[in-house]
Amino acid sequence: MSPILRAHQVKKSFGDFEALRGVDLEVKRGECVGLLGPNGAGKSTFINVTYGASLRSGGELEVFGLDPSKNSSQIKARLGVVPQENALDDALTVIENMRIFARFVGLTRIEADPRIEELLTYMALDHKKDAPIRSLSGGMKRRLAFVRALLSDPELLILDEPTTGLDPAVRHLLWQRVHDLRRRGKTILITTHYMHEAEMLCDRIVILNQGRIVDENTPRALIEKHSPGYVSIFHGDEGFANQLRGAVPSDWHVYRQQDTWCVRAPELNSLVDFQKSHALHSLQMRPANLEDVYLKLTGEELSQND
Amino acid sequence: MTENLKNCWSVVTRNWTVYRKDFIANISPTVADPSLILISLGLGLGGFVQQVEGRSYMAFLAPGLVASTALFTSFFESSYGFYIRMTFESVFKAMLTTPITAGQIILGEYIWNFLKGAMMASGVTLFLLCFGLAPAWWSVFPAALLGGVIALPCAALGLLASSFVRNINQFQTVYSFLIAPIFYLSGVFFPLTPMPEAFRWAVLISPFTHGVRLMQQLFWHQLSWESVIVHGGALVAFSLALGLWSAKRLKAQLVT
Repeated sequence: MSPILRAHQVKKSFGDFEALRGVDLEVKRGECVGLLGPNGAGKSTFINVTYGASLRSGGELEVFGLDPSKNSSQIKARLGVVPQENALDDALTVIENMRIFARFVGLTRIEADPRIEELLTYMALDHKKDAPIRSLSGGMKRRLAFVRALLSDPELLILDEPTTGLDPAVRHLLWQRVHDLRRRGKTILITTHYMHEAEMLCDRIVILNQGRIVDENTPRALIEKHSPGYVSIFHGDEGFANQLRGAVPSDWHVYRQQDTWCVRAPELNSLVDFQKSHALHSLQMRPANLEDVYLKLTGEELSQND
Repeated sequence: MTENLKNCWSVVTRNWTVYRKDFIANISPTVADPSLILISLGLGLGGFVQQVEGRSYMAFLAPGLVASTALFTSFFESSYGFYIRMTFESVFKAMLTTPITAGQIILGEYIWNFLKGAMMASGVTLFLLCFGLAPAWWSVFPAALLGGVIALPCAALGLLASSFVRNINQFQTVYSFLIAPIFYLSGVFFPLTPMPEAFRWAVLISPFTHGVRLMQQLFWHQLSWESVIVHGGALVAFSLALGLWSAKRLKAQLVT
């Protein structure tokens, strides 16, 4: 089966700034792919290029076998986007907004109304049908942006930081829905800064940094490759770190993560024993996760664009 | 083609839905401005003016006011209105996630400006009709059509301005140095014939002058095929040239 999306050496420049420096990516039907990377890494640029909101400067790109710089309309008819900004019409009510959008995606009023009702219920917004947009909370607006993206029952869903800045309850609801949509066979391309959720949800993780893909694989494989084992986290100064370095076995790792020090060991038992024998109290002890991989691959320092 | 038009029409529907929400507030300047001008200049100043081209000053002003309504409606809609939709409300960002293309958005905006110009022009003509300042009830229809046609090049000026300004305050400059001169010098307030020849030629560079001339001829039963072809042709030519230029610039901003 041909992939839903195929990118080969996709490049994009804005003036002198190279936002994408040759991205290769394939997304298969039914796959959920997470794009991770620091702000300015090129995640949104890549997403915009896939549906023709931005035109690539080089490379080959096919979505549903079509070129987004030539056939964006046909491509967009088959996908739904939750953009970073909600971009809802503030002056209108929920239902008015959705009806206008239903028209944009080619639904008649008779087709649109039951579809809107169904999706509002799905996103737990049915009680807000006649509320003006400006009266909605940030979480409600975000859920409405999901309703909008789902109106045309798209094959491919593009979610650009869908949960950024939302409270945990809304975030959970949204991730649950994304999970459900994935189960129903939708192909999903998602950017996020929530590593834990990406790890739980995505079949494949693509890590971008400064316009290039640094690595991609299943979450598990990435952890196994870049950061296998268990991690203990400590508070301490540079001197403490040097002591740690001297004390741990040679196949362990000691590294800085923001203002804490991490010790990573291949096995949990040896890590526990190490702490006991050195009378150390860690802040936390946990299996290595995607965040460790992410910070290792994108550099612990903030990227230059931040 | 039908798909194309359908998408453009969706843009019009969206604008109309939002506009209709605040209809009274949106439409009141259309009636308020011309009535103020009619009272202050027509009644006030008009008392000191004998006759202009064989008619009262009020009757002279009337058609120009219909044309001016189309000018202001379309300029403000396509400058402040469009710019806010593009930058602050991200309306087009959302539209561009649907099958609608940037070209269709821009064409839709032109259709919307045409219709709004036509609607406002017919509104003011009806208003003037109440005071016996419009020729006949049926003149509402050609006045509406002409209002729509005048709105097109004026909308093009607004859309071009939208593609050039760096922030919303710069529209004030565009208004003062482009729209205000167009408004005051295009023969709305005084006949152009007694003016120096250089002046008369210079104002023909403004599409609005042609619109005012046609509206006056319509109101004064002076329309001829020749003048419809010349002035109408000029309006169409300005619309096409400025319209294509604005579309080229705006497409590059909507799709980066």
